[in-house]
Amino acid sequence: MKISYLYEWLRFMLLIILQVMLLNRIDLFGVATPVLYIYFLLKLPVGRNQFYVIISGFLMGLIIDVFLNTPGMNAAATTIVAAFRRPIINLFFSRVEYDEFVPGMYTAAGAFIRFTIFTVLLHLTLLFFIESFTLFNLVNTLLRIVTSSLVSVVLILALDSLMYKKKTGEQT
Amino acid sequence: MRNLFNFIIRNSHWLVAILLIAFSFYLVFACNSYQRSVFLTSANKVVGWSYAVTNNITSFFHLKKNNQQLLERNAQLLEEMHALKAQMDLQAANDSLIVEAFVSDTTEQVQFEFIPAEVVNVSFSGPNNFLTLNKGSAHGVQPDMGVISQQGVVGVVSMVSDKFSMVIPVINPKFRLSGKLKNSENYGSVSWDGKDVRYAQLGELPKHESFQVGDTVLTSFSRIFPKQLVIGIVRSRGESKDDNFNTFNLRLATDFYSLQDVLIIRDAFHEEQKALEEALQ
Repeated sequence: MKISYLYEWLRFMLLIILQVMLLNRIDLFGVATPVLYIYFLLKLPVGRNQFYVIISGFLMGLIIDVFLNTPGMNAAATTIVAAFRRPIINLFFSRVEYDEFVPGMYTAAGAFIRFTIFTVLLHLTLLFFIESFTLFNLVNTLLRIVTSSLVSVVLILALDSLMYKKKTGEQT
Repeated sequence: MRNLFNFIIRNSHWLVAILLIAFSFYLVFACNSYQRSVFLTSANKVVGWSYAVTNNITSFFHLKKNNQQLLERNAQLLEEMHALKAQMDLQAANDSLIVEAFVSDTTEQVQFEFIPAEVVNVSFSGPNNFLTLNKGSAHGVQPDMGVISQQGVVGVVSMVSDKFSMVIPVINPKFRLSGKLKNSENYGSVSWDGKDVRYAQLGELPKHESFQVGDTVLTSFSRIFPKQLVIGIVRSRGESKDDNFNTFNLRLATDFYSLQDVLIIRDAFHEEQKALEEALQ
């Protein structure tokens, strides 16, 4: 239990560093920016306390905002996603699974992929619409949402596969 | 009550989420100039729209008052306009009206004063034509004063009351005036044959006088009118009574059909000249 929390906070910090130092400097084809820090919310155990999820999501977004100098945008998007995490999980995972179940590629691949796609799409839609804040350049905003989501989903799935393999490698 | 508390406790994470989201959006609007500008512009649009609606409604109720104010203002302006008009009429004396009637010599103007007057009655249906002007002895008008219009000679004052004066115009058979062609010194007599209000005759002009149609006829020696005042323009050669003199038909410079404003000439030296000439006789 304690180890699990430690891993989570370690992941929390590593994701922030990764997002701020590396990923936010990528601007693929001028439209696609991978946004990976939402991976932290994906990997929380299913039955985790809602307060914990929401507040940690808010903190995550706020810290990203502080680094990227975009006060409130990431925090708002991430907090909304965190608040709706439980209903989204209920949508994709069957209810029988126990509270400490962690979604992942090697636990429930199909459900995890759908879950990831949906969550990332929701998160980036919120994020980019808060950023542009108008329907003026709608086509450009939608293009950015779709391409960024695509890149982010691919990276998250790859990262998850990698982490799991590494973990199993250590364990064995 | 317990159910209510239970409900609140069970859903308190939503409350927290809403608070945090609100705080995030507060940060978005407070710290990002772009989002703030967009937000403020739309907010201003909404506010402006609501103000416009309120204004439309309230202005309807103020219509009556505004109408009243406009009427008052209108009356005030009308009053001012009439006052100014009256003042302008008073000052309309010695300006452009005279300049057009004179041809060249302006040095004699010192001798002459002009009293502006309006034609209040005019008759040119029969041979005994006359004009009535709205200035009389109260304004300094006396019999034997000349009357001119903007275009040229009109006539001579014959009778005067306190506020009105009668004028015998050029188009009256009793009227006589000496006139001459512009580019010569010989003079003749201008009279009216009683036929056409627009035309008068210049007779008793020596036969050798060369003339052209279109020549200007000016006043010559006269106790009444200044020299060089336009009477009319030569239109054609008329029938002469004897062979030594020519008679011309003149188109009168003054249009009696539309005569409105005239000037009465007050000659400062009239009495002196008259007294001297009568003493000699």
